[in-house]
Amino acid sequence: MAKKNSKNWLLIPIIALIYLLVFVAEKVAGTSSMLVTVLEKGAIYALIAVSLNLLNGFTGLFSLGQAGFMLVGAYTYAVLTIPMAKRAAVYQYYNGGCITFTVPFIIAIILGGLLAAAFAALIGFPVLRLKSDYLAIATLGFAEIARALVQFDGLGPITNGSNLLKTYPTYKTVMFPFCAAGICIAIILLLIHSTYGRAFKAIRDDEIAAEAMGINLFRHKELSFVISSFFAGVGGALLAMYQGTLQANAFKSSMTYEILLIVVIGGMGSVSGSVIASFLFIACSEWWLRFLDAEQFIWGIKVPLLRSGFRMVVFAVVIMLIVLFYSRGIMGDREISIDRIIKKFSKKKGATK
Amino acid sequence: MSVLRVENITMQFGGVVAINNLSMEINKGEIVALIGPNGAGKTTAFNCITGVYEPTNGADYFNDSPIAINHPTGKMAKTYAGINADQYVGKHLHMTPDKITKLGIARTFQNIRLFKSMTAFENVLIGTHLRRTSNPFSATFRLNMREEKKLRAHAMDMLEVVGLADLADEKATSLPYGKQRRLEIARALATDPKLLLLDEPAAGMNPQETDDLGVFIRDIKDRFDLTVFLIEHHMNLVMDISDRIYVIDFGKQIAEGVPAEIRDNPAVIAAYLGVDEE
Repeated sequence: MAKKNSKNWLLIPIIALIYLLVFVAEKVAGTSSMLVTVLEKGAIYALIAVSLNLLNGFTGLFSLGQAGFMLVGAYTYAVLTIPMAKRAAVYQYYNGGCITFTVPFIIAIILGGLLAAAFAALIGFPVLRLKSDYLAIATLGFAEIARALVQFDGLGPITNGSNLLKTYPTYKTVMFPFCAAGICIAIILLLIHSTYGRAFKAIRDDEIAAEAMGINLFRHKELSFVISSFFAGVGGALLAMYQGTLQANAFKSSMTYEILLIVVIGGMGSVSGSVIASFLFIACSEWWLRFLDAEQFIWGIKVPLLRSGFRMVVFAVVIMLIVLFYSRGIMGDREISIDRIIKKFSKKKGATK
Repeated sequence: MSVLRVENITMQFGGVVAINNLSMEINKGEIVALIGPNGAGKTTAFNCITGVYEPTNGADYFNDSPIAINHPTGKMAKTYAGINADQYVGKHLHMTPDKITKLGIARTFQNIRLFKSMTAFENVLIGTHLRRTSNPFSATFRLNMREEKKLRAHAMDMLEVVGLADLADEKATSLPYGKQRRLEIARALATDPKLLLLDEPAAGMNPQETDDLGVFIRDIKDRFDLTVFLIEHHMNLVMDISDRIYVIDFGKQIAEGVPAEIRDNPAVIAAYLGVDEE
C-alpha cells in the first residue's frame, strides 16, 4: 500500500536529472570518450541485469541462459538490418546470404526480443520442471547450443557462420541505449509491482504455499522466463549496436556470469541495485582500473606488478571484498527510497544532538 | 450433500503405508476434526486432498465431482500393501494444488508457510491472485485498476476479519506466532473457499488464544458459509467446536462420531487420549 507523505515521487525528477546529465556529458566529453562508452555499455548491461534479476531475484529461478537469449536477440537484429547493398560483402563466403529483405531497426530490436522469447517458451516446457541447480545447468546448456548453432556452417547463409556481422545500423547518441533501457526497465518494474509480480515473489518465497494459494507454478514460471528472455533479447540487440560488429564467440557463458555477478552485487530482488551495480561494474572493469594495465613509473621507479591483465586481478579482489562485506549485495532486496534516505539522515542528526 | 468425500484412500511411500484405506465424508456447513497420535497420517491425508500428493489408490470428490483418482501402477502395483487395488483401474485423475484451490478448497499449514519477504497485507493479497481476470499485459500497464482496487479491498477485509488490519504493513514473519497462524487463515480465506482445511491451527497457542480461536473458527464458518475440516491436538478445542470427529491411527480410521462418542470410545482412549493426556 502506498504510504502517505511518501517523498518517493522525488525519484522522478532525480531520474530526469540523470538523463539530462548524461545528455550534457555526451556533448561535453564527446561521443567516443571513455565516460560515454561506459554509460552506453552500463545502460545496456543494466537492462540485461534487471531481466536476469526478474528471473533469479524475483521468481527464484536460477537460470544461466541469459547469454544465449542475448545472442538470439543480437543476431536477429543484425541479420535483419544489414543494408542490402552491403550483404554481398558481409556474407562473402555464403553468396550474399539468403535473406533478401531488411526491416527498420526498431522493429528488428523488438523482433530480436520476440524471437528470444519464443526460444524461451519452447525450452521452458521441459526445463522449467527442473529445480534450482538442474535448471541452471539446463539453461547453460541451451546458451551453449544456441552459440554453437549460430556458428554452424549449415546456417551460414543466415548467420554468416563464425564470421563477423557488420555494417548494420547503430545508434548515434548515448541517449538511445539510455532511453531504450529505461523504458524496458520501467516496464519490468511495472510488471514486478503488478499482481503477477506478486505471484512471482510468492513462488520465490515458498513454492508449496504459492501453489496452495492457487498460483499455477508452471504457467507463472514460464511467464517470467519468457518475459525475462524477451528483454535479454532486446538487450542483446542493443549490445550488437554498441559493439558495431557481431560475432557469436563473444556470447560465451562468461558473459552470463558477468551479468549474474552484477545481479548478485546489486542485490537479488532489487532492480535499482542491479542498475547501480551494472554501471559500477562496467566503470570498474572498463575504465577506473585501466591504469593498472599499463607499466607506470613513479619518480622513475617502476611500480611492481603493473602489467597487462593485472586489472582483472585487482577487479577480482574488489568483487571478493564486496561479496564479503555486502553478502546480500549493495541493496539487498530493497529498492532505492527517498523516504529511507531521509530517515537515515534525520536519525544521524538526532544522534549528534 | 457432501462437500468432500474421501473414498478408500491409500497413500504408500515405498513400503511405508502412511494412510490405509481411509474413507471420510464431510457435509456442507459442518466442522469436522481429524485427530490421531503423532505420525498417524493426518497431514498426509490433507496432502492427498489438496493435491500435494497423488494418492496411491482411491478417490477424492469435491461437491461430488472427482478431484483425485488413482490406482497402483508400475512398481507400486507389486509392492502395494493396501486393499481395493482393482476398484479404480482404468481411471486416473491428478489435479495440481492450484487447480484444487481454484475449485474452492483452501488450506493452512502445520509449519507456517507465510511469504517471508512480504508484509501481512501482501501475503493476503497473494490469496486474491487466483480470482484475477487481468492478463500479464493489462496488469503490467495498469489497465486493471478497478479490479486491483477490488482485490486490495477484499484482502484488507480478510485482514480485518482475523483482526490484523492494524498490522497490515508489518513483515509477516515479524508477527507473533499466534498472529501468523491467523494471517495464514486470512490468506486462505482470500482465495474465496468453500471448504477450509486447517492443519493444527492452535499449535503453539496458549489456552486463552486457543479458546478465542474456537470462537473465531465458528464465526468465520457462519460468516463465509464455510465447511471446516481441521487437524488439531488441543482436545478441548476439538471437543468444543467439532460436529463430528474422525480418529486415525497408523493411517487407519479407528473411530468416527460426535465428540461425546469419541470421548468414551475405548479404542480412541487406548490409542490416543489415554497415552497423551495421562
